[in-house]
Amino acid sequence: MRSEIIQKLGEIVGKNNLYTSLEDLYCYTYDASFVKADLKKDLAGVAVYPANTEEVAQILKLANLEKIPVVPRGAGSNVSGGSVSVGDCIVLVLKRMNKILELDRKNLIAVVEPGVITSQLQSEVERVGLFYPPDPASQAFSTMGGNVAECAGGPRGVKYGVTRDYVIGLEIVLSNGEVMNTGGRTIKNVTGYDMTKLFTGSEGTLGVITKIIVKLIPLPEAKSTMMAVFPEIDQACETVSEIIAMGLVPCSLELLDNIYIRNIEEYAKVGLPTEAGAVLLIEVDGDSEILAKQIGKIEQICRQLGAVQIRVAKTKEEAEELWRARRSAFAAVARLKPTIIGEDATVPRSSIPVAVRRIQEISAKYNIIIAILGHAGDGNLHATLLTDETNLEEMSRVEKAIDEIFIATVELGGSLSGEHGIGRAKSKFITLQIGEVGLEVQHQIKKALDPNNILNPGVMFGA
Amino acid sequence: MECSLESWEKEVIRCIRCGACQNVCPVFKELQAESTVARGRVKLIRGVINQDLGLTEGFIDKISLCLMCKACVVNCPSGVKVDKLVEAARKEIADKEGLSLLKNLIFRLVLKNRWVFNTGMRTGRIFQGLFFRKGPHGQGMLPRMSLGIDKRRLLSPLAQKPLKSMFPEVVKTTEATMRVAFFTGCMINYIYTDTGRAVINVLKHSGAEVVIPALQNCCGTPVRINGDYETARMMAKANIDVFLKEEVDVVVVACGTCGLSLKEEYAELLGDDPIYAKKAKQLGGMIKDFTELLVSLEGIEDRMGRLPIKVTYHDPCHLGRGLKVKEQPRQIIRSIPEVVFEEMDKPDTCCGSGGSFSLYHYELSTQINDHKVEAINQTGAEVLVTGCSACRMHIADGLNRQGFSVKVMHTAQLVEMAYEAKGKSLETLKNRPQGGIKGE
Repeated sequence: MRSEIIQKLGEIVGKNNLYTSLEDLYCYTYDASFVKADLKKDLAGVAVYPANTEEVAQILKLANLEKIPVVPRGAGSNVSGGSVSVGDCIVLVLKRMNKILELDRKNLIAVVEPGVITSQLQSEVERVGLFYPPDPASQAFSTMGGNVAECAGGPRGVKYGVTRDYVIGLEIVLSNGEVMNTGGRTIKNVTGYDMTKLFTGSEGTLGVITKIIVKLIPLPEAKSTMMAVFPEIDQACETVSEIIAMGLVPCSLELLDNIYIRNIEEYAKVGLPTEAGAVLLIEVDGDSEILAKQIGKIEQICRQLGAVQIRVAKTKEEAEELWRARRSAFAAVARLKPTIIGEDATVPRSSIPVAVRRIQEISAKYNIIIAILGHAGDGNLHATLLTDETNLEEMSRVEKAIDEIFIATVELGGSLSGEHGIGRAKSKFITLQIGEVGLEVQHQIKKALDPNNILNPGVMFGA
Repeated sequence: MECSLESWEKEVIRCIRCGACQNVCPVFKELQAESTVARGRVKLIRGVINQDLGLTEGFIDKISLCLMCKACVVNCPSGVKVDKLVEAARKEIADKEGLSLLKNLIFRLVLKNRWVFNTGMRTGRIFQGLFFRKGPHGQGMLPRMSLGIDKRRLLSPLAQKPLKSMFPEVVKTTEATMRVAFFTGCMINYIYTDTGRAVINVLKHSGAEVVIPALQNCCGTPVRINGDYETARMMAKANIDVFLKEEVDVVVVACGTCGLSLKEEYAELLGDDPIYAKKAKQLGGMIKDFTELLVSLEGIEDRMGRLPIKVTYHDPCHLGRGLKVKEQPRQIIRSIPEVVFEEMDKPDTCCGSGGSFSLYHYELSTQINDHKVEAINQTGAEVLVTGCSACRMHIADGLNRQGFSVKVMHTAQLVEMAYEAKGKSLETLKNRPQGGIKGE
């Protein structure tokens, strides 16, 4: 990157908030995804940490004028390669903009800067009896800006929806440095196109989010947790469909397959029968008086459909113990193989049994261990590929297996990604799902908002 | 123990770059640059292994920015041993680039050689005036010339006499029910002799005969975590020989870092040694932190008098996450009559000391320390108790810098106070005229 650009950026953000050394920039060549930047051509020229909207605007104005790519980044916990440096770019890290600006109890909204950590917002609002439900696994360190840009989900999606369902207004710096406000502070708002929804999930390709207004809901009074063990994974899948069909909406409905069960048991000794085909972890929340009734009904459905073991937590500690199994899932399989790739193909709920079978077939075909853990309640399956990235031969089989999972997902009427985003990892598959016309329309939107293609180029539509 | 940096590749690739370490890394909390969090360090090390990067000054600087607090290790979903990786990288740097001048001098000449260390530390009292000047208000010492140590660092002065010269090699007690050896560690022997005295007094009054082997030396951790394995191995072997000679079942430590070193790290360091691998394990099995030992003894509560003070506790990284001793000190503090124990926010977050880290990155280590001082103040405690002398020095420095009057002491010192309080009340009882106990 030319030194006068770095000089100018230094004047905007201050010398202490700018990084140019090889060692520093090397650490922006990755995120939590499997995408790796090519060191020869994709090492960033500079990383900057602006303090406010004005600084972001100045940076984008300069970048647009000079046609320098800009990669917006929060905690870099992206799982689709959307925050990896590309070309001689500016990595724009929004972590310094980390204030909760407003917590408005009368209007049930919060206004935050993009660098606020998701779980920090959650604990702040919960302190006053309110609730911000989206709970991606990374919530303890991911940022709100990143959550909005990726439209993050999480286990609670089955009942409470995803980030999109809570964002009602945004402040955005456009590619030319102009600042735009979308939506507002009201639940009802139909003035113009729904720009808030367009930018939510835009993966940093249309603008840089500098302020977020989210709606909040009252914090549910209580929770109740249970675990059901099934001999066959099909029975568990059917149970999921039946629970939903009966009009019961748990706040989490998590499925673990036999590979997970065996490894969790070996690792954490939580008392799971290792021969079981699947385990469902179910949690309901709401008014404490109705919880027992709900759990009772769910228990009945589980038994009817073949559950061989049911554990209902009687105390908070017992619930904790049940969740321990789910939480240790990752560490448990991480012992098996050094490299873990988590995909998040999502299918209509009724297709879960078929999707699981297809994934198992693909696993056998390419001789790759693929474990399945899913937010089954919303059809969001996390196929987990266990491999070793230093084994190049195996890695080529892994890639083929992932390609086939995507194709199968789309065939089943599902989505390439439920909550991880397309990023750079899945951009070559996008037409498979949205079609040529869909792609053309999206291209035109991108062109209208970012004519010089400086914002996260390559993300979503490929290079 | 495998030694080349390349041999760590298997560990490095286990990092899936999820970013969970961002939530707990104290250095990252201050600096926010990706290269300063565990995930970044692991990536940089990987870069050196696959030759994207060299052992540049930039790399060395990034690798020096780790407190070795293990917060990332216990929070890592894949269980990547980041501390071991950083240590391996430092070893690679030391092997290939050499240690920096000051570190070299201290490690190779002084710490290794007990005699030089002893004489140096003793004559140090006279000569320290040459290198250090008195701090403001006559407290502590500030470095006079650039030794690579930040000039503002306030260090505690050396004690008048090292601990080992204050006590006989065997401290006997009349009704001994057990015999233990005490590994003093450097800071207790040379700076915080009050902690050492408290450990000895409390154990003695709890029925233990305490052996303080004269030939013990530094545990070797400062040397090892800065990459000098050769010296570290020599020091480990020397200590193993000294302690295995004693007829004791327990070797008590009053410092988590020394304790972890003796309990686990000697065995790793000497894993390939045909003679010492087994001995290291044997010694490891004998190590107990002071609080671990104390809670296992009977009748300690009966020996404690009333201490009407408010106390909070800081978990030293290597005691809490290293030796997994978290409950015992709290149990002891709570059992002292009239002590009000108030837990602080995040008691197990690193205080920012990191041993020599605070000497080389003083500014940063004080920023980290500011959060600890704030958390301590929030509790309103009059006394901050902890189980590590390095934490004690760093927290006292922080409290002092911000003008707070909270007293800082080791758990053993609080217990000693409680024992003394009991002694005094017994004394008063005895001296009172008969039938004069009223209003108690």
